[in-house]
Amino acid sequence: MEFPIAWTIFKKEFIDTIRDRRTIIGMVILPLIMFPLIFMVMDRVMSSTDQKAREAMLQVAVFDQGNASGFRPYVGRQEAMELAEGLSREDIEDLIRNEELDGAYVFAPDFDAAVADRRSGRVTVYYKVTDTKIGRDRILEPLRQYGRDLLQARLDQLEVSEEFVTTVDIEERNVASQKERLAQMVGGFLPYMFILFCFTGAMYPAIDLGAGEKERGTLETLLASPAGRLEILLGKFGVVVLTGIFAACMSILGLYLGASQISLGEERMEDVMALLEPHSIALVLSLLLPLTVFFAGIMLSLSVFAKSFKEAQSTISPMIILVILPAAIGMAPGVELDSLTALAPILNVSLATKGIIAESINPLHLALTYVSLFVFAIISLVFSTFWFGREGVIFR
Amino acid sequence: MLKFGSCVNLSATEVAQGGSPLIDVQELSKTFKLSRRQQRELGKEKSAKTITALDRVSFQCQPGRVFTLLGPNGAGKTTALRIMATLMKPTAGTVKVNGHDVGKNPREVRHSMGSLTGSTGLYARLTPLEMLKYYADLYRLPPEKFRSRRDDLVARLDIGSFAEQRIGKLSTGQKQRVSIARTVIHDPDVVVFDEPTSGLDVISARNIVQLIKDCRQQGKTVIFSTHIMGEVSLLADDLAIIHKGRLLFNDTFKAFRKRMESRSLEDEFIRIVEEA
Repeated sequence: MEFPIAWTIFKKEFIDTIRDRRTIIGMVILPLIMFPLIFMVMDRVMSSTDQKAREAMLQVAVFDQGNASGFRPYVGRQEAMELAEGLSREDIEDLIRNEELDGAYVFAPDFDAAVADRRSGRVTVYYKVTDTKIGRDRILEPLRQYGRDLLQARLDQLEVSEEFVTTVDIEERNVASQKERLAQMVGGFLPYMFILFCFTGAMYPAIDLGAGEKERGTLETLLASPAGRLEILLGKFGVVVLTGIFAACMSILGLYLGASQISLGEERMEDVMALLEPHSIALVLSLLLPLTVFFAGIMLSLSVFAKSFKEAQSTISPMIILVILPAAIGMAPGVELDSLTALAPILNVSLATKGIIAESINPLHLALTYVSLFVFAIISLVFSTFWFGREGVIFR
Repeated sequence: MLKFGSCVNLSATEVAQGGSPLIDVQELSKTFKLSRRQQRELGKEKSAKTITALDRVSFQCQPGRVFTLLGPNGAGKTTALRIMATLMKPTAGTVKVNGHDVGKNPREVRHSMGSLTGSTGLYARLTPLEMLKYYADLYRLPPEKFRSRRDDLVARLDIGSFAEQRIGKLSTGQKQRVSIARTVIHDPDVVVFDEPTSGLDVISARNIVQLIKDCRQQGKTVIFSTHIMGEVSLLADDLAIIHKGRLLFNDTFKAFRKRMESRSLEDEFIRIVEEA
């Protein structure tokens, strides 16, 4: 093993790789723009959907059979809400389902009597809500206001204060730290993206440096040079790992840029900055490094086995599903890093990253995660070395 | 007395025109395991789990001479050259290059060898100068020697005008000249050419032929595989005919011409192969 030769190969492969537009797209551009793009689209779509739901003219119908006549003015007081008249009670469900009507209030025949008797009057509210809660809230709002006024009248009659019916004064204090709240919000999503970029960032160079070189006819010339197979593999391995880690770093930078582009507010921005603390990033990257070595070993092995670039691409690309699946499981609520999940590669990185962001990671589980990742990385490296040394693989 | 159609292996002293052989191949055999798919494709029976690419092949190559390995496609030429270049391991037999055994001292063998094949590619995103530097570094050439070799090759092969352009943007002929420079950048004692002109135009092929002649003139050992008769008559000093992994003829090219029973080289080659 001659390290200067492995270094020579690494330098050449690195120059060759960064001169390739496709690698730059996968390694720099995509990871860098993905978070800002996701944030921008989410921000635009959500604010536009909310605005639309708030401003949309709602058509509602009231079926009160003469009782609850005091309710109708409450509907009239709402912004962008009008009463639809002349509809049949039997048709309302169909009308709402077909979006010809937005809501309907059906008062029970004994509503007035029940209220007068100081009991609860029943009102059935029909609506169709599939996306935002805003539509439902707007439809319920006149009823809430009406109910509050009826209650106030009842209390006035009894000459008691509102506190009389408010038996418990609830004061909520959430002691979860900013980081914990943020970890709950994005803790599953971030490692998912980091892992994905590690994989996709390394994928193209792995294909190019293995099957690509084979197809171009340069691999045989390289193998005929004094460079040993281990030196060649290490040189290529280094570049594949570097591009994967670089893509993950770019995605972290993209996260920061994305967060600063949208109007998060000062408090949220502080949260994001807390997430990007150097020690958190260093810990996350230290998990991603052995994971990328694991990926690189598998991808390079498949790549050198393939006869052509196309064959390698069609073999390696579907592996994204195998990467996404455990990463997505890590996003599911209730899945935690424990002694068992810490041993499963990819899933352990996803869960450990969540824990790192929340600063609630168990050191033993983190240690187990490192052990598992290093073992898998070494197995992957040893296997690819053995695989690359087989003439049946190189000269298929 | 040599007879066409039989496998004849001459000793070094019988063939040698110059000094001691730089390449010594003795009883070289190579078999490949067949996958089920390959068995089906080759129409082999289930019991035939292997295929013999080389069967006890022996020959020697002398410095300052062009040893030509002639054979149809699939004859075993490339396998023999790959074993010589340490890319494959022999199943049996020995190969020594410049005194080094290919199995025991592969790095030393590779240091003394340069190889060029018809399918040799170049790194499209590097420049010719970067390509030469890369291979010089792999061969651990001292900086002064590299500079002098680079300057000499760039001048002789007229690479200067495109030396700093990306290889991907060069013409086929220009790429061929870069390939040649890459092959001999470390000034190897042995140069291996495996069907180097396949797919090349006349001008590019002529560059290769000239390179082979230059190597011979410089006293290098040249081993050259081809299935093109014209190249054989133009370049061969010594000739070996290989078919289905077996050597059918091994002598000087002069001796081959003397013993020809057919009117042309091509007819003679076909006759030998068909008789085998």
